This record gives sequence, C-alpha cells and structure tokens, in this order.
Amino acid sequence: MSDDGLSRRQYLSTVGGTAVTVSLAGCFGGGGGGDDGTTEITAGTAPGFPPFEMKQDGELVGFDIDLLEAVVDETDYTLAGWEEFEFKSLIPALTNENIDVVAAGMTINDERDETIDFTDPYYSSNQAIVVREDGDFSPSSLSDLSGRPIGAQKGTTGESTVQSELIEPGNLDESNYNSYGNYVLAVEDLQNGNIDAVVIDEPVAQTFAAQRPVTIAFTYETGENFGFGVRDGDDEFTQALNDGLSTVRDGSTYQDLTNKWFGQQ
Amino acid sequence: MPPLPLQSDWAFVVGNLDLLLVGTGVTVALTAASILLGFLLGFPAGAVEVYGRGPLKRAVETAGVVLRGTPLLVIIILLFFGLSVSSSAFVTATIALGLRSAAYQSQIFRGALQSVDEGQLEAARAVGMGRLQAIRSVVVPQALRRSVPGFQNEFTIVLKDTSIAIVIGLGELLTVGQNLYQGGQSTAALEIFLTVSLIYFVLTFVTNRSLDYVDDHFSIPGGERA
Repeated sequence: MSDDGLSRRQYLSTVGGTAVTVSLAGCFGGGGGGDDGTTEITAGTAPGFPPFEMKQDGELVGFDIDLLEAVVDETDYTLAGWEEFEFKSLIPALTNENIDVVAAGMTINDERDETIDFTDPYYSSNQAIVVREDGDFSPSSLSDLSGRPIGAQKGTTGESTVQSELIEPGNLDESNYNSYGNYVLAVEDLQNGNIDAVVIDEPVAQTFAAQRPVTIAFTYETGENFGFGVRDGDDEFTQALNDGLSTVRDGSTYQDLTNKWFGQQ
Repeated sequence: MPPLPLQSDWAFVVGNLDLLLVGTGVTVALTAASILLGFLLGFPAGAVEVYGRGPLKRAVETAGVVLRGTPLLVIIILLFFGLSVSSSAFVTATIALGLRSAAYQSQIFRGALQSVDEGQLEAARAVGMGRLQAIRSVVVPQALRRSVPGFQNEFTIVLKDTSIAIVIGLGELLTVGQNLYQGGQSTAALEIFLTVSLIYFVLTFVTNRSLDYVDDHFSIPGGERA
C-alpha cells in the first residue's frame, strides 16, 4: 500500500464513487446544448469530387470543406466534425440525422428539394463533356454524342443530363450509357478507350483536364446551382447558414477560396 | 487497344502505404468482431436447428432464411439509415456482418453437428449420459473440428465483404484505397486496386493457412481418416 494515507477500503470507495459520477455525467451530458447558443452540428460529404471534396494524404480537403467551415464560423453553431459517405447515401444520412448538413457539390433540384432543403446557392456550374485529348472525337453539341458510348457518375446531375437530354428523346440508346460509381473510374474508362465521352460538372472536368490526358470538348449550359443540403424544416439552422454564407461572400473569404481551389487551371 | 497504365504510379502507392495499413487495421478489426459475433450467435443457432423443436427452432430457421436471403448491402443500409442501431459506422457494420455471418455459420455448424453419426449419441446415452451432456461432450467436440473447413470459407467471405461498409463511409481498406485515387493527386486507380487486392490476399492466405494448421492439429485421430 502506498503511504498516501488512504486505506484500501477508502481507496476503492473513492474510485468507485468517481466512476459512478463520471458514468452518470456521461448519461446526462451531451445531447447538444441548444439553449446556450453553441449547438454542435455534423457535416457530411462524399470525397472523390475534386476540387470540391477529396482525400489527400488521408485528410479531407476541398472547396466545400473550407467554405462550409468558413460559413459555420460566422454562425452560432460549431462544427463537430465531418462524416464521409458515398454520394447517394448523403440524403438518407441527412434525413436520419446522422449528419446535419451536406456539403458535397450537390446541385439544387426539384427532385432533391422534395426530400431535403437547400441553403442559398454557393456555386454555379454547367455540365462539361470530356473527351480524350488526342482522340479524333470532338463533339460540339449533345446531338454529336448519338450512337457513342458515354459515361457519368451514378446519382449525379451529369447522369440526369444524359437521361433527360439524350436517352429520353431517343438520341442515345440506353445501352450506350455507362454508369460509374465515381467519376475517376469513368475518366479511367475514357482514357482506356472504352467510352468516348464523360458528362460531368464543369469545375470537376477542369480538374481532370489539368491532371489527365483528357479535354473539355464543350459545355452544356444547365445553370445548376450548388447548395448545402439541410433537413426539411430545420429553418433556423438554414437561415443561420444563409446569413453566414452572405457574410462570407461579402468579405474576401469566398474569393480567396475560389482562387485557392479553382485558380490554378 | 491502348496499353494498360501499369508503368505509372507505383511510387504514389508506396508513398501512401501507411494510409492503406490503417485501412487494413480497420478491415482486420471489423472482420474479427464480425466473425466473433457471428460465432456467438451462429453456433447456438446451428445447434437449435439440429436439436431444437417448436417455436424456437422455427424462429431461428426463419431468421436464418431472411438474413441469408437479403443482400449485405441492404442489411447495412437498413441497420444504419433505417433502424439507426448505432451512430457509429463501425458498430453498425459489425452488427450487419455479424448477423449475416451468424446465419451462414449456423448452417456450417448444423452440417457439422449432423455429420456426427447418430450412433454416437445413442452410445453416449447408453452409458448413462443425459441428452444435453451427450451433445456437449461427445457430439460438439467432433462437430467443431469438422466445421473448420467451412469456417475457412466463411472467414474469407466476411473479410472481403467488409468492403461493402464503404457505403456508410467506414474507413476500411477499400475505402482508403478509393479515397486515394479519387483525391485528384494521382491516376493510380489500377495500381491501388492491385495493391488492395494483394493485401486482401495476404490476409486470407495467412488466416487460411493458420486454420489449416488448427484443422490438422485438432483433427479427429483414429480410423476415420480414410
């Protein structure tokens, strides 16, 4: 026994008492403040969409990551951390409260708007049609893609464009469309010559064009807007994010971030 | 046909081996936890299917049929987004893989238990053992030995199926690999896939060899080895 004056019995009761106190505190603590104005929120994203979000050296980085963190900094909320999902799992994760906000280059559209809410737009994008750099195929409009094997990522607006502008009007055979789990594989398949074009968000296409032997043949104007996804009815939080967003846009932060992530092309 | 891009980016893979090893650690932990949960539920379930009767047996059989008939992806998504059993992706993936493995393992053990000759049970009863004692002391030790080959299969399946946890963002081996080539720093998709496959292969090879050793060591001595 050490000579700190505690008997074995005293020692045990002290330690035991502490353990009980700690575990009770564990039960009553947590549960995200609320009244004290420092509610913690968790953000969700889907890496693999450079330069909006990707993993580099094990770290989650990108325009969406920096922007959301800057926006939340302007609010009374604090960002507890990031959760990563596949893109198509993000909306279920949001509605099931695994996360509180989606920052994943998500286009605001009616279909998604039925399930979740969006903040004000924070970025505008069109769809780019990417082809091989040294290939002999250089389309200049969507109709040039008829009869060619083309690809896009599952669940994205690139895929919607292919569906609504090419397949539904009958300009492209369903069997000519290849759907990929992510854009990197689609571009890989393009490089290998298995498909002739990839339909993808313009800023992401620019990143690919800068890094790989592919080039943007033309862009298709869709006037899409990216917004942060929030739970339906989470109005107070949405308003806070919108206010934060306009503060960030008014200052120099937004410009700094676009220069940082889109500047080098 | 263009050449396969094999020449390029092995340096990128080597430079990120530490990340892949972290992912490997998650994969191994997830496999171990799931196999253990599968055994703790699957072994009794197998025994109930062989020796049980009435509603308990029917309930176990039904649960097994449902779990074996549902794609793992659906089980994971249901548990995570539907029932929200845990906010931890690791815990949810363990439960999903563990339940599915229990359903498979129950059949491994059912087969092994049924393979022990009925005469042994009768003989054990004849020398005065109770039914439970006869099962526990005579049938189960032999059945466990015979279940090793089936269990090797199950281990291999669970190990590779951990990669489906990618859908709820768990940072296991394949997720880490995918994040690497999707990070925009590299074109090494194929190299990363090959490396990840090699790691899975080493894991399954080492474990299967270990289980071979266990099988040899505990194999039933005597005349049954034809």
